Order: sequence, then C-alpha cells, then structure tokens
Amino acid sequence: MTMQRRDFLKAGAAGLAIGVPGCATMRSSAPKSRVAVVGGGYGGATAARYIRLLDPSIEVVLIEPSEAFVSCPLSNMVLGGFKTMADITMPYAGLARHGVRVVRDSATAIDMEKRQVRLARGDPVAFDRVIVSPGVDFMWEALPAMGGAEAQASVLHAWKAGPQTAALRRQLEAMPDGGVYVLAIPEAPYRCPPGPYERACQVAAYFKARKPRSKVLLLDANADVTSKGPLFKKAWNELYKDMIEYRPNSKAVDVDVRARAVKLEFGDVKGDVLNVLPPMKAGDIAAPFITVNRRWCEVDWTTYEAKAMKGVHILGDSLLPAPLMPKSATMANGHGKVCAAAIVALANNEAPNPSPTLLNTCYSMVSGKLAIHVSSVHKYDERERTMKTVPGAGGVSAAMNEAEGAYTMNWAANIWADALS
Amino acid sequence: MRKRVALAAFAALAQGMGAIAFAQQTAPQPPAFVASNLTETGVRSMAANCAPCHGTAGKPAPGATVPGLAGRGDLGAVMKAFKEGNREATVMHQIAKGYSDAEIAALAGYFAKQPR
Repeated sequence: MTMQRRDFLKAGAAGLAIGVPGCATMRSSAPKSRVAVVGGGYGGATAARYIRLLDPSIEVVLIEPSEAFVSCPLSNMVLGGFKTMADITMPYAGLARHGVRVVRDSATAIDMEKRQVRLARGDPVAFDRVIVSPGVDFMWEALPAMGGAEAQASVLHAWKAGPQTAALRRQLEAMPDGGVYVLAIPEAPYRCPPGPYERACQVAAYFKARKPRSKVLLLDANADVTSKGPLFKKAWNELYKDMIEYRPNSKAVDVDVRARAVKLEFGDVKGDVLNVLPPMKAGDIAAPFITVNRRWCEVDWTTYEAKAMKGVHILGDSLLPAPLMPKSATMANGHGKVCAAAIVALANNEAPNPSPTLLNTCYSMVSGKLAIHVSSVHKYDERERTMKTVPGAGGVSAAMNEAEGAYTMNWAANIWADALS
Repeated sequence: MRKRVALAAFAALAQGMGAIAFAQQTAPQPPAFVASNLTETGVRSMAANCAPCHGTAGKPAPGATVPGLAGRGDLGAVMKAFKEGNREATVMHQIAKGYSDAEIAALAGYFAKQPR
C-alpha cells in the first residue's frame, strides 16, 4: 500500500512536471487515493457519496450494472399495488454531481495483484482500496430443480428489487380470485428479516381489495416469525383475518416447477403463484473473501476491511452480521459511512475512528398506510471486537399505526437522498 | 428477548449438568464498549447515523415530513426528554436510550452548527 502510494505520487509528480501550465482541463494534482466501489446499492452508493463529501481529493469509481437504483425497501408495496416501480427507482446522476465516476458495467473479478477490478465489457478499474458491496446471491443448490434459467423465470424470488418485482406483481394480477399465493422463507440469516412477513401483508392487502377469496400461505423454515413476530401476527389477524396461513418449521427443499408445488421435507404444497426465497450468501463477486460457512464475509468493524484480504472493504448484506445486526438497508447505509470515514482517515494517514456506532430502524408496511418498526443502537465492543446492541435501547412499535406509515415514506426519501443525491 | 434466551440456557444448564457445571458458568458479561469518541470526526460519524430518517447532516430531503436536526438549539433537551420518557415518541424514546448524556450533548452541538 505504502509502496504503491509512493509510486503513484511519483507518477503524479512526473505528470505535473510535463503538464501544460494554464490548461483549464488539466487536473491540478493526482488523486490522493483511488477507491473502486463494486455495487451501487445502499452500502456502496452511500460509501461512494460520503467519501467524496468527506474528502473530494479521493477519486471514487462506482461500478454498477443497473442503469438506476431500485430500492428493495418499499418494493413489497409494488406487490400490494400501493407503489409503482417508478416510485422506488432513482437515478445515479446525483453521485456524478459529487464527482463519483459511475461505470455501468458488471465486475467480473477483483484482482488484488494488479489492484484492479475487471469488468465484463470495459477496461479494468484500478484502485488503492476497493469497497465490495454486492448484496446477496442465492444458493440455488439448496433447491435442485431451480438451477435452470427457465425455472428461475417461472418461480420468482423478487428478493432483489427490479424486473422480478414487476414480474411477481404481474403473476399476482393474473392469478384468478380464489387462488393461493405461496411464499417460502429460508432459515435466518437472510436479507431483510421482516421482509417476508411484510410481503405477506402487502399481498394480502391486494387480495382483500381485489381477490377476496384468495389466500396467502407462508412456509417458514424458521421456528417462528424472525422479526416483529407479535406485531405481524396481530396485523395478519386483525387486517387479513383468515387470509394468511402461517406454517413454521416448513423448509422448502425443492420446487416442482411444472406442478407448481413447493417440496417440503414431508410432502408438497401446491399454489397458484409460487414465490420461493432460496437461502442466501454473500454476493458472488465477494466469494474470495468469504470466511464463514462458505456464505459470509467477516470484517474489522472499525474499517470494514475484510479479514480475508487487506485493502478490500466489504459492506452490507454480504457480511456475517454482528449479534442482533439485521441485514437491512439502514445497516448497509451505516456500514457505508463508517467505512467511508475510515478510508478517508487512512488516505490522510490518520487513525480510523476506534469507536464506531450504528443505528438501525426497520419499518414494515403492514397495509397501504399502517407501519411497525424495530430499532437498535450498536456500539463497538473492544473485548470481542464486534458490534453489540446497547442494553436498554431499541425496541419495537407499541402497535401498528399511521404515524409510522408516514415515517416509513419519510425514511425512504431521506435514505435515498443520503445515498444518491 | 436476550434475557429470555439466557434464562432458557440457565434452565437447561441447571437441569442437564448439575450444580458444578452451573457454578463454572458465569452470567453473560455486559458489553465492553470502547469509550465514545467525542472528537470532531467521531461526533460527525455518530451523527451520520441519524441521516436515514433526518437527512444528511440533519437536513431532510425535499418533501420529507420528519423534523430536521440542522441548525437547532433545542436538540440536547429534546433528546434528554426522549431518553427519560418525558416526551411522546414512536421510536426516538428507544433510540435516545442508546446514547450517554455526553454523546447527546456532543450530537446536539454538532447539529446546531449545521446549515438548515
């Protein structure tokens, strides 16, 4: 690192010496450091923006294959019919205004010898440090019949907001009244713990309004609802009486795509629309940095530098979560900011903050207007070198309510701006 | 929640392994949180956690309905009221309990200086 920076400074100085004085388009100095960010979700976009906010002399390149940011939070409301895809889609143009170079391409490998990210189409992106924030990928091997593209186009997960969200909505629209929507939930940890239970509410809200004889059937691999359990069960019972059936300890082991059935350890469950969430792991590009259960990456929580590799920082859902830390958008946004501040400190030869804090608030919309939340405050435990929740802080809603429904929309507007504006 | 898990573990232990094993098992240690960093950069980092709901540097996005934090002089008192249960809230009474009085004062000082 030091070596490279010195070489880079030398190259910069040489460039300056032969530069044409007075040329307005000429950069006045070489960048202090070059950071490549792989993945423009809540973690990566936030980190890119905050590095530039904190130190505009650091060059930041964001690599993201999608043309626009599509939010997973609120995407269940598209299924409910309360939001459109346009409502949850934001451009990356705001980041360019901060001087982030946004490259629309897919990263294919992170080459630590050459210190560059290789791309599917374009030239490699060189870096001093790389931030890897790819979200999750799916463990299709856990559902053998789901391995092929045809099966995956028919039985959707819609657990990455985008085309699958719109496609699942179309499947729900096409389902006749009286049909059964089956949602299979994998064992924790998975992205967005309350997400499946919120989705059940949103689909039920749509059925209640338009297809009242239809049912929502939840097949949960877990022993109970993994987040905000009593609040969700109350919402199901009070808002969607007899429409939602919850079956705990019901792990999907495969799918019969043709017969439209989810295969459990004992018996098959048929449905008209199948929505199967496979078990999840760190995004594929982060695979070389996985250190736990062949699924998740561990980091130093003060810098987010990977335990597996110096110079690589990992954010968001790819991480082995600290105790009681959810795989949430707010968490990824927080990771992005702690990591950005640490990278800025290191680039300026300063020590990173030894006392990072994180704050989480996850809202779930249980109808078009009512919401519930879970919150927690996390601080750094120096003995165990992990983030821990502050005892006595955090909690859940007293009851579902409209005020928190409004705060949910407010949260979306502010976190989107915090990551992208 | 965690207390319940700890109690369950306690019960299993007491039943399954007897008194000797129990005596060796100490209660879970309280977290060993590192001292808070109240330098300028430390407070800025802590304050960044407020942004998902209150906007970058406490300035809400256009159209947001939540109170802004930037440029306010009353934030220390408001946070203290949330923390002590003297002010109604949906979530802030839970969050305020996560911060020491010194952290609250430092956060209030930071946001007071931010442009509205």
